[in-house]
Amino acid sequence: MLSRDAEHLYWLSRYVERVENTARLINVNSELMLDFPGDKTLGWQSIVETLDNLDLYQRRYMTFKEANVINFLCYEEANPNSIKNSLIKAAYNVKETRDYLPQSATEQVNNLFNEFIRFSSKATRGQSKDMYKLIEGSQRFFGIINDNFSTGLVFEFIRLGRYIERVDMISRTLDTLCVSKKNSQTHDFSTLEWASMLRNLSAQGAFREEAKGEIERGNVLRFLFKNKGFPRSLNTCLREIDKCVAVLPNNRLLKEEVYKVIEKIMSSRVESYDDEKLHAFLDGLQGNISNLDQRIHKSWFHLHA
Amino acid sequence: MFWLACCMYIVVTISWKNYPTSPFFDEYLNTSQGFRTHTKKIGKYLGSLSPNDLHEINNATESAIKSMGISFRIYSEEYIEGQDRSWPLDFIPRIIRKKEWDKVEKGLEQRVKVLNLFIEDCYNEQKFLKESDMDESLITDSPAFKEYCMGMKLKHNSWSSICGSDLIKDQDGMFYVLEDNLRVPSGVSYMLENRTVMKRVFPDLFQHYGVMPVGAYPTKLYETLVSLSYSRSRQPEIVLLTPGIYNSAYYEHSYLAQQMGIDLVQGTDLVVLKDNFVYKKTIMGLVRVDVIYRRIDDDFLDPSRGNKDSVLGVEGLIESWRKKHVSIINAPGCGIADDKAVYSFVPEMIRFYLKEEPIIENLKTYLMSEKESFELIKDRFKDYVIKPVAESGGYGIVIGKSASKKEKEETLKLISRDPRNYIAQPLALLSTTPTFDKGSIEPRHLDLRPFILTGEKSYVTVGGLTRVALKKGSTVVNSSQGGGSKDTWIVDK
Repeated sequence: MLSRDAEHLYWLSRYVERVENTARLINVNSELMLDFPGDKTLGWQSIVETLDNLDLYQRRYMTFKEANVINFLCYEEANPNSIKNSLIKAAYNVKETRDYLPQSATEQVNNLFNEFIRFSSKATRGQSKDMYKLIEGSQRFFGIINDNFSTGLVFEFIRLGRYIERVDMISRTLDTLCVSKKNSQTHDFSTLEWASMLRNLSAQGAFREEAKGEIERGNVLRFLFKNKGFPRSLNTCLREIDKCVAVLPNNRLLKEEVYKVIEKIMSSRVESYDDEKLHAFLDGLQGNISNLDQRIHKSWFHLHA
Repeated sequence: MFWLACCMYIVVTISWKNYPTSPFFDEYLNTSQGFRTHTKKIGKYLGSLSPNDLHEINNATESAIKSMGISFRIYSEEYIEGQDRSWPLDFIPRIIRKKEWDKVEKGLEQRVKVLNLFIEDCYNEQKFLKESDMDESLITDSPAFKEYCMGMKLKHNSWSSICGSDLIKDQDGMFYVLEDNLRVPSGVSYMLENRTVMKRVFPDLFQHYGVMPVGAYPTKLYETLVSLSYSRSRQPEIVLLTPGIYNSAYYEHSYLAQQMGIDLVQGTDLVVLKDNFVYKKTIMGLVRVDVIYRRIDDDFLDPSRGNKDSVLGVEGLIESWRKKHVSIINAPGCGIADDKAVYSFVPEMIRFYLKEEPIIENLKTYLMSEKESFELIKDRFKDYVIKPVAESGGYGIVIGKSASKKEKEETLKLISRDPRNYIAQPLALLSTTPTFDKGSIEPRHLDLRPFILTGEKSYVTVGGLTRVALKKGSTVVNSSQGGGSKDTWIVDK
């Protein structure tokens, strides 16, 4: 497979997954804020912060009002990670790779984009039902992929992109809580917040079934970091990445790096970390993920430089 | 009872009585409104349909094209994702008798063989230039003439390995060559897809006609490319080089690459190393490339040998080709014979190189660089078509009959400023074929683009891409300017 095609498949997948994850984040926070009696701007500020966009945001907006943040995350053209920009880039990558994909997958990405353009022009923007549409649309795309492939390079690069993006987003989402705690000194809504975290990752059912514990910090963290099997735990995502890497050529260095990250997570005692320690751990993890991404580029996309 | 009821509803069917045939040659009906022998069956069948049926068939055709994603793009359009135009296909086939086609096929093989001989001659001994009346500057001053090709001799003498010649039928019902596209002709994927769509929409029609299949083309193309490789491997590494997704023919590039199972590469995917070999960048590392089926123009192939700012090509590609480390198909520099002024010499070339008479005729062509010809055109502007020699896609053509006084004066001024750049041809009365238009069937003008492959063996497509001018009275068949297409049937009866 041409390096360029592999890179397009990888990024196509990352952008579609990013759309879904951003929509999830918005949705859960909107719901959470309804339960929040006081100043809601802090909750929204923490989302902007976790996405590493604080500077950019503050150059364009004065306050962290819900409408502003949603506009920034969904429609802002200057925000490279806005849903709109992610969809534009997904559509571009799908055009470049359409020969590799089932037609329905190509159409699904284009439909998702067209539908988004339609509802983004309405007055009531960023409603939760629109966010659900994005989540559904993204899942349908991956559903088509999973239905059409069970092996092969196309499948592996799409899977690789998806799980890298997912690991990245889960770690950022977890970080939201640390940051929001730091910002808010008046209320302790921890149970609500941990429940919303699980909801964000569609993890409530799985948590109840597998972890069986009370929804409290230690249990939730253990589940989201270390559970083996739930598709939105860091451990599972990294193991999926490991599976993809295993069937690709020239994979020795990457394999080692993935394994190190898994080990780091499994041997940590995140359950008992306080906010500060957790934040530091997640920060390090973000660095590891970015290294994995770079190593992926070096191994298969830019190995000819 | 039920049958009776049905019959009573179908009262209005298509009538051939009001179908105008003269003054053009109609390929279905003769001048006394009778069907030709090979169109009788389909003519009767179409005559049994109601306007409603026709609409239904037309809708089925359109939706098949949409769901198969057969599309094209017009150059000047701003790029918008998902805005490619659906390919326009008229569901009434164009039918040619096999006996007639066999002759055309031989004529095309003869013609392309000679054009290839001529190109190699131009870059080597220049025998034809020395011994004929052709003005040498016609070749050496041409922008398509590439100095770096001098002295090159290619495998199987194949410069234009894939040629698309445009044929028309004139009033006398004979095929003539309108022009030869020797550089990067496109359209063959639409020929193949038209057949696929027609088989879906009209399966029963195919059962009643012995229609010759067209589907061998991708295999023949692949074999041709293999035969032109310099590598000894029986499975040489072949790639299709495209300018990318914004190109108007990208659909075709990706279609052909897929059909042949070869990589569709862009300039950035290739690299020429110090050993002067070409490599493609894959996830496994660099892989040597033996044959490049390129769909980008000469000047963009290699920034060190053409357009310096080109990002489409590959640095060092021409040198690698000159060393015969890689085959570039079609060969750089083959465009010298793809010029409407050179075209007028093809019959002479056939006599010169093969000592044969041309099997298919040219249209009479006047070079505007010849004084008497220019005077003739000035006097009888209305009877001629003026064409710039180096344009393609129907751009820049002036039809004398429909030009205003101002256009005429402007055209004559353009010619006198640069006579070498223009030719004139008598206005050909393009043949017509019944074509669906808003519920009825009407005659529309058409041409035909067959594709000719030259490798170890030669091959001519069975028929080719029929293009049809959808507007009443129009003779402009280019899809970029409102033209459509038809499936072309070569029938053995």
